[in-house]
Formats: sequence, C-alpha cells, structure tokens
Amino acid sequence: MGDVKLEGVTKRYDEVTAVDDMNLDIEDGEFVTFVGPSGCGKSTTLETIAGLTMPTDGSITIAGREVTDLPPKDRGIAMVFQNIALFPHMDVYDNISFGLRIRKYDTEEIDRRVERAAEIVQLEGMVDRMPSEMSGGQRQRVAIARAIVREPEVFLMDEPLANLDAKLRVHMRTELQRLHKELDTTIIYVTHDQAEAMTMSDRIAVINDGELQQIAPPLVCYNEPANRFVAGFIGSPSMNVIDGVVDAEGLSTDHLRLRFDTAAVGLAEGDRVSFGVRPEDVYLAENRDVVTDPSETISMQTDVLEPMGDQIFVYMNAPDGETGGMEASDGRDGDQLLMSVEPDADVQADERHEVVVDRSRVHLFDVESGDAIAHGLTEGAAPETATGEVEEA
Amino acid sequence: MAASTASESEPGPFTRWVQRSISEPERTYQAMFYVVMVFFLVTTLFPFYWLLVLALTPNDAIRNLGLLPNGFNPGAFLTVFQKVPFHIFLLNSFILAVLTTIIVLVVASLAGYVFGRLSFPGKGVLMLAILAISYFPPAAFLIPLFRLFNGNVSLFGVSSPVLYNTPGAMVLPFSALFMPLSIFILTTFYGQIPDGLEDAARIEGTTRLGALFRVIIPLSAPGVATAGVLTFISVYNEYFFSYLMTDGTVSKTVFGIVSASNHWAPLLQGILSYQTQFNKFYNLMAAASIIGVLPVAILVVVAQEKIVSGLTQGALKE
Repeated sequence: MGDVKLEGVTKRYDEVTAVDDMNLDIEDGEFVTFVGPSGCGKSTTLETIAGLTMPTDGSITIAGREVTDLPPKDRGIAMVFQNIALFPHMDVYDNISFGLRIRKYDTEEIDRRVERAAEIVQLEGMVDRMPSEMSGGQRQRVAIARAIVREPEVFLMDEPLANLDAKLRVHMRTELQRLHKELDTTIIYVTHDQAEAMTMSDRIAVINDGELQQIAPPLVCYNEPANRFVAGFIGSPSMNVIDGVVDAEGLSTDHLRLRFDTAAVGLAEGDRVSFGVRPEDVYLAENRDVVTDPSETISMQTDVLEPMGDQIFVYMNAPDGETGGMEASDGRDGDQLLMSVEPDADVQADERHEVVVDRSRVHLFDVESGDAIAHGLTEGAAPETATGEVEEA
Repeated sequence: MAASTASESEPGPFTRWVQRSISEPERTYQAMFYVVMVFFLVTTLFPFYWLLVLALTPNDAIRNLGLLPNGFNPGAFLTVFQKVPFHIFLLNSFILAVLTTIIVLVVASLAGYVFGRLSFPGKGVLMLAILAISYFPPAAFLIPLFRLFNGNVSLFGVSSPVLYNTPGAMVLPFSALFMPLSIFILTTFYGQIPDGLEDAARIEGTTRLGALFRVIIPLSAPGVATAGVLTFISVYNEYFFSYLMTDGTVSKTVFGIVSASNHWAPLLQGILSYQTQFNKFYNLMAAASIIGVLPVAILVVVAQEKIVSGLTQGALKE
C-alpha cells in the first residue's frame, strides 16, 4: 500500500521557509503532481518525502509507516531525477541492478527483474551499453527502469522530462501514463510544466511560496481555482484578472462593468473584488448567441494578434489606453485583456471591437486574500459557489 | 650617397634568419619547443644516465670519469644484494609507503567528503587549521615525537608505547604529515561530483558512506590516484624520520621481515650502508639507487594518465 501522508511538514533554512506547514494525503496508486513556479518549494517537499532533506517540523508517513527520521534507503521509495543521475562508470545493467545488488538479491532474481524492467521501458538488448553511449530519452528510460526494478511503494519523480527535447517529452509523457497504468503504484511527480500536470495526474497540488494552494483533479483546478494564484498559474495563456469594486448591480472597474446578483455570492456594495475570466471565455459581441450567459458589451481596441493555427490570441487595450488594474500572472502587460477567437474571425490589429464575457465562466476573488469567492455568476438567480477542494493552512 | 648604398646591399645571414623568423613565427615556436624539450630531457634524464655510468664502472676505476663508463661491471647490480640485504631495505620502504598510503587515502577520503560535500559551521576554520598545520616544518615535530615513541611521555601514569624500530614510529608521523595535501586534493574532487549521483545512490539503498565508496570514489579515480601516488612517493623517498626512528638494522631474510630482528630501516639507509668507515662503494650506491627508483618509475608510468589529469583538474578548480 503506497499511500503517503504529510502532516505539518515544514522546512526552514536560516532565513527562508522553503516549505510551510504542508498537509497532504495521497492515496495508494494515485498520480499526484506538484506544480508551481521555480523556487516554490515543490522539489523541497519531494526531497523531504524522499528523505534527502530532513524537515524542520512535521511528520511523513509512507504506506502507514512513520518515516520522518528514516534514511532514504529504508523508506520504500524510488526516485527519478531531473538530471537523470545515472552512474556514469557503470553500464545499464549495473545501473538498473544497483539497488538490488546492495540489498544482496541473488543473481537469478536480479537477472529476472532487470530483464523485466528493461522490457517495460523498452530497452531490451541495450543492458550492456554505457550511459554515455545512449541518447537522452534512452537514459531517462534507464533511470525509470532503475526506479521500477525495486518494486517500491512510491515513485518520486523530480521534473524527469525537463531536460528532454519537446518531441521526446510528449512521447515520454504518454509512456509514463502507460507505466502508471501498468504498475498501479503511487507516483508523486514534480513539474513546473502545467501541460504535464494537466495531462498526467489524478490530482494536482498547486504550490506557491512553500504553501499548498489547492489539491484537486486537473479540471477542478482549471474550472474552480481555489484562489487567484491557482487561477493565474493553471491555464495557458493565463486568466485575465481585473480589480474592481462591487456596486448595487454588480461590479465596476475603471473601464468596464459587469452586472450580476451580488447578494447571491454574499457581496455588499463597496467590497473590493477581482474578477477573472479566461481568454476562451471572452467573445466578440457579434457571436453573443453562442455564449451561455453573455455580459454587457465592452469596447476594446485590439493591439497584437498571435495566430496559433487553431485559434488566435488577441491582446486588447481599453480605447483610452487604460483598462485600470488588469493583471495577469504570466507577465503580460497589466493593461491588456486577452481574448481567444476562432482562426477565421474577422479581427485585425488596431481595430475597435465590442466584446462580451461569459458570465457563467467568470471567477471572483477577494482582492486582499486572493481567495475565490465564486465561480460562475448569474444575472439574477443564485450562482454556484466555490466547490474546489481547498486545503488551507 | 654612401649610406644608401650600404642599406641596399645584401643582408647578412643573421639578418636573414631574423627576418625569416619574423615572417614565419611557427618556425620559431617549433625551434623553441625543441630547445626547451631537449633542455628538460637532459636535466631530468642525465642524472639517471650518470648513475648508470657510475654503477657500471668498477669502484676503483671511478676517477677522471668522462661521459662513458670507465670499464664494464654489470655485476654491481648483483653485488648490492650480496653486500647488504638491500632487498629487505627496499621491501621495508615499500611496505611503509603502502601502509601510509592506505591510511592517508581512507582518512583523507572521509575528510574530503565532509569538506567537499557537506556544509557545516566552522568548515572554513577547520580547513584553514589543516592548511596551517601542513605548513609546519616536519623537523619541528621530531623531538616530541621521538620522546613519545620511546615511552618518555606519560599521561595519567600510563607511559606512551615504545614504537622505536617499529613501522608505527614512521607510518603514524608520515600519515599525519602527508594527510593535508591528500585532503585538499580529494576535497576538490569529491566536491565536483554532482549531488544528484549521491542522492541517487542513497535512494537506491546505500548509506552516505556507501555512496562515497561505490559512486564518489570511483568517479574521482584521477584524484584518488594522484593523492595516492604523491603520498606513496613521498614516503618511499623519506629519509629524515626513518633515519631517526630506527637504528638502521634489518632482518637477514625476507621471512624475517615481520620479526623483531627487522628494525624497518628504509631504502635510503640501505643505500648509505655501502659507505662504511673504510670503504665507499660509489658504484654499489649508484646501482642500488637505480634499483630503488624502479618501483616508483613503474608506478608512475602505470598511473601516469590519471595523475596528469588529476593534477591539472585540481589546479584548475582551486
């Protein structure tokens, strides 16, 4: 049983708190991905699970056994590293069998297991090569074989695909999913690539500044982000977020208005909230028939177009040049609203366009705390409230 | 008018040579390379040649020597073993050097791991202390060590062991004296091994010590070879401590080497024993020197490739 439980795990260095009171409950056989920006503490969290870093505080349980003070070798885990970390002075066979040889398995058992592991990662007939004679993808597969050969309770993977080229990365992504299905072992996977997180995981744990922001299935993180950070981090390009003030009829910002039932989401006049909408939930006003619940029209000036082939990303400014407090976490210009339209849409740069947003797909966040207030608004009837599985510290 | 005629005349051979060197600098570099190489070859190899000349010349013919042996007496290479048990001296030095090298490599590996791969408060001060101690002249330790190894120091009523005439009296001070250099070499090498490899080994089931011996040391082979060979040669050539910590006698047979009759006199004392009160066998001393150099020469040739890369790598990093 490879369930993993973190209770109050904290890692402090002299000045910095890398991991802050992390509580996680990962079930047996689950594929959980830690995502977050660089330096958010996701790798440190993984290292505390591995035993390579000792937590300052808190306890870690693997397969029902408290392992907080155990060395890595006694935790029943295997790990795949970002830099692959094959032993360069050993051939593939010796690399894969390293752990088995240290644990003094007999030769026949080692042979049998290495052969099986090589078969799973499709490296048959390559076991007598040296790592330096192999390509990046093959080396990564050797590293995975080295991890699976010991049949551990839990696999830890620290950005295993980060050093591979784009094509190979997509290929290895499907390989890993196949592997997970085949072995049915718990996998904890660290990445900063949200495409990997979205496609592979059963649940995503979004981490920022050492704190867990949300742990939920990928689509829940996408559709019902627990807070403004998750909203901005999950989804590419990221969500438009605009600060505004609640009035009697809804919300107004410096440039635009959005009418909705404020009482239904527990907001009073004068409350400061941020309103978030994804680029694909912004529409040209002439297409308003296809929108579930179109808002009032917003007049915008197009700036730059990014044709992606299957869609066009349209960056828009307010006509007077200032939208007022718009921001996006991917470093986009704070005054811009991003819309995604069909590739055949009649949009050019530097044009005036009327747009609408889908009110049922609008998210509201508290300006101060960033916590989600509501996902999806209605003009009159009661809107749906936040249901994302939030585990706040 | 006369001056212009002179400048238009044919340049002399020296001027032409200089001009050619300037127009084709590669030729000059090539020539300089050969000059310097011949210089180094002569200064390093001539002493060995001169030893050979001395060894082959009968002892009573060693006077007014030219560059060639004055006579031919290869028997000197056998006589050295008949006059004194030179092979025992040689073996003593070899055993002392091997013992010291093993101790130094094991202890310096642990120290190198700690200094190279861990960070802890006081690390800089400790390394500085090791460096400072390594600058002490070895002679400064001689008298206290001599008293210590002769049972003249007592602590809480227990007097120190008598190690005079035993390997301990030499291996212990040698290990301490040559340790700092090895620690610095190995610290540099172990520090360069990526953390990921050690982490991988520990995840796969080794302890930190296991990772050191199974992964870090094999990958630092050039550094370990360099530290080992430098220690070995230093001890093998050592004279000062070995001369003062033994009375210079050795066993008569190879089997007696571990008996009390062997007082662990080293190679250099063996060579000097051809110089007695009434006779000085320069030819035997030369022959013994050549024989004594052989083990080290073989060792260096075998480990050469690794030593060179080891020395330069260490140099670049520090």
